[in-house]
Amino acid sequence: MSQVQPPSRSKKFSQKFSARRAENNLIYANPLPVIFPSPPPPPPSLLHRLLGISVSHVENPHCEGVLDLSTRSVWVLGMGDAMLLWQRGFFGKGDLSRSEPSWLARQVNARKQAKKGGLTSEEVTAKRRAERKQFKLDRAKAMAAAAAEAEVAFQEQGRVISTTYAPDGTRIIPSAATWKPTRTQEAQTGEPASSPKPEDTDDDEDDDEEEPIQNIEHLQLTLQEAFFLLWNLDCLSVLNPDTDTPLTLSQIWHAFQNAYIPSPTLSPSLNAPHSPRFDNPFLINYIVYHHYRSLGWVVKNGIKFCADYLLYKRGPIFSHAEFAIVVCPVYEDPADQESSPFNLQNASPFSWSWLSTINRVNAQVQKTLILSYVTIPARSRISEDVLSSPACFAHYSVREVVVRRFIPARMRD
Amino acid sequence: MDDVLERPSPQQPSSKDHNEEDQSSGDEDGGLDWTKLPGPGTTARPVIPKRGEKDFEPTQEGGSGLQLHVLDRARGAMVEALRAGRSISSKSISYGIWYPSIDRVHVTTARGIHFSTMGHSVARGVSSSDNPGDNEADRPLNHISGSKLPKRLELLPEEAIYLVERGALFCYKPIAQESIPGDSLSPEEISPGSPMSVQQAFAEMIGREGMTLERYQVYAYLKRLGFVLTRADPPTIDYPVAAPPSLPITRSLDQPRTVWHRLAALFSRLDVFKALRFIPCGHLVPLHKSSLSETRSIPSPESVASASSPYKVFFHVYKPSTPFRKTAPPAPDFYVVVVNARTTAMPSLHELTSLFYVLPEMPLPPPRKRGIQASTKKPNNVPTVKSPSSNVLGQASHDSSRTAHPPIQSSSQSAQPQSPTLFQHLTSFIPLFRTTAPKQITTPTFVPNRPNPFLALKTGTKTIVVAAVDSGSISFFRFGEGVFEEWPMA
Repeated sequence: MSQVQPPSRSKKFSQKFSARRAENNLIYANPLPVIFPSPPPPPPSLLHRLLGISVSHVENPHCEGVLDLSTRSVWVLGMGDAMLLWQRGFFGKGDLSRSEPSWLARQVNARKQAKKGGLTSEEVTAKRRAERKQFKLDRAKAMAAAAAEAEVAFQEQGRVISTTYAPDGTRIIPSAATWKPTRTQEAQTGEPASSPKPEDTDDDEDDDEEEPIQNIEHLQLTLQEAFFLLWNLDCLSVLNPDTDTPLTLSQIWHAFQNAYIPSPTLSPSLNAPHSPRFDNPFLINYIVYHHYRSLGWVVKNGIKFCADYLLYKRGPIFSHAEFAIVVCPVYEDPADQESSPFNLQNASPFSWSWLSTINRVNAQVQKTLILSYVTIPARSRISEDVLSSPACFAHYSVREVVVRRFIPARMRD
Repeated sequence: MDDVLERPSPQQPSSKDHNEEDQSSGDEDGGLDWTKLPGPGTTARPVIPKRGEKDFEPTQEGGSGLQLHVLDRARGAMVEALRAGRSISSKSISYGIWYPSIDRVHVTTARGIHFSTMGHSVARGVSSSDNPGDNEADRPLNHISGSKLPKRLELLPEEAIYLVERGALFCYKPIAQESIPGDSLSPEEISPGSPMSVQQAFAEMIGREGMTLERYQVYAYLKRLGFVLTRADPPTIDYPVAAPPSLPITRSLDQPRTVWHRLAALFSRLDVFKALRFIPCGHLVPLHKSSLSETRSIPSPESVASASSPYKVFFHVYKPSTPFRKTAPPAPDFYVVVVNARTTAMPSLHELTSLFYVLPEMPLPPPRKRGIQASTKKPNNVPTVKSPSSNVLGQASHDSSRTAHPPIQSSSQSAQPQSPTLFQHLTSFIPLFRTTAPKQITTPTFVPNRPNPFLALKTGTKTIVVAAVDSGSISFFRFGEGVFEEWPMA
């Protein structure tokens, strides 16, 4: 499991950084779980694999997952498979972690003394948030003190003094860029981590005999990710939660669609939906997911930024997401929209205030907002029989519109 | 005693503040710092200063004495600045007459720099054989015949209101109801007395010739910033418009890919990504609409953008630096649509497509110069109005796998032994070299140093600016046509 170093500004930073980058390049070298051989043999085509022609030297990990309808996801319980799926393509999310399933690592860290500073990403975030909270307290105190001083000066002498800059030019109120946590803060944050230490020091010698922590975490794949893996790359098999037997492709196709149709039971209904519809949310979201995955992007969930998906160039480890995708389904036939049981989000053009909101949110975090329009074929034009197989995707289409703010005052040159 | 507030502080503009200002809305959102404006006596144009210090909340008991003092100063400075009388030299005042019947202001005396970018000349006059009010625009203007009509300068309503608001135009309204627009009378003869007030100008001219309050607000805002605005569709024949960009020939979905990309694709072990691209994507895929006939795939501007849709380009906007000639305007820098934010929703896909349909493709903005590399990375900067089919962005590989068929083709090709495939690719490409020589020859040199894909992805090929006016607050949005399928990451 990768461990993230907190960024420091020491001289060794650049060396550590390049070593870290090289290590990440090794770990996350494969963009897909299935590894194809290097040139020269031409890689096997999708068609060949679908027909079952076995071509040698394709490494297929054959992971396994269980369908869970209450969360509309596929759970990968084996940690080996889970780490593999995460490291090759950043599929899925650990359910007890922020992204990568690192719960076990955090528990182990919490047990041991974290003196080497090998923190997981959650711990880094927690430390950063504690520091920022302290900075805000410091700043509030400094502002209050400066205001009080200015007030006193005004009352007594009628002088108006600046509250942010002292007469000699230094800043009275700290700015985030230059504030440094004091020693007391570091000791405080170090305290909770080492508080279990007194209990463990007695058992230090018996560390090996301590009961190993049971990993209760699993990797959770959305239905779209799971379908992408099993249909295109054939590296995932999904088990029926009731019977623990692998499901066939058509059963999965039906079950995933039925997951969005409200039903009384939680067992997957493996037969075709009673009235298959083109605007099933699974299909719409899958089309967008597949489109961007096929272009090479790493597609992750975008709920933190009011969007549906986030696009990463190589992965969340390497850089921040550049684009936030909002899926906007467009009905060819308005009558389909009225008769739809799904009530898809964003199917009608939204109001300017909402567009402005998501645009601002994403501009604040330096992401570009992209509206992905998915056209839904009309039931009058295409019969719904095509929905019995994934070949129906050829009837949809995806197109993007980039939304940005236009500030005339800055576009004058 | 308030020297500190008067003098701009030297330490304030730090780099961090600049950074924040880039992110934030900047000058046009916040209020001015009125204390830093020059007094009413100065003739220098006031510079919009940086914002002053701002407290977040009043201290207890309704604000401290210092805070109240600062507030009072700021308020007083604002009132003083606004109270100052605005003057204009009498030598730069223009005079005009407003004719409601034709919705135009005829400028009898034009002075000042404004008329280099505003107004258009119309040949209008009274001759015995013609009806008053007849436009006679269809008569060739240069035709020397018995009745050569005098050309005169006329202003559209928004231009007139703008100039009246600035104080650069004295506009008169004829008292007599039967005034003939073709009369070349001076203002004094028409309407003795005082010129129209700004209030009267608004009342008279808003609502005429498609000029609503929202459109005027956008017009005035952009004009004040220095842009040059013209209307997109001419209200009369005399109105000069930019030559419409030659409508894009329907780009074939199968663009020839460069030799290098085919080679790279052959040897790439990520060919699986290409094989996955079978979902139809991109703006060229026909957009079906149940109300249209099935055969008309690409919506023509008239079909969707009927009178019911407010999404039509209304203004052509030129940057202040663009050389603008009134008689032959160049290609506009921005296309602006003005809508009322409360009554009109965001454009739907059909409206956006019909808007994009009429726009030309813009070249990429040049990347920021990074020393020597700028020369190799710089894409073609010449506007593509003249040759819209030469897609400057075509340097990237165009995915031909838009339907289910090409992947099967590519898979069969890749199954063959390599050298004939390579040879086939090369030979198949030579005819393409000949037919589209000017474009293709340049592309191989670009491919090894591909321009940054993110620039193209973030700007898109065509951009439309929509101004959503919400009771006076204008929000501008740029909608760009995305080209993700042309810039794959793998």
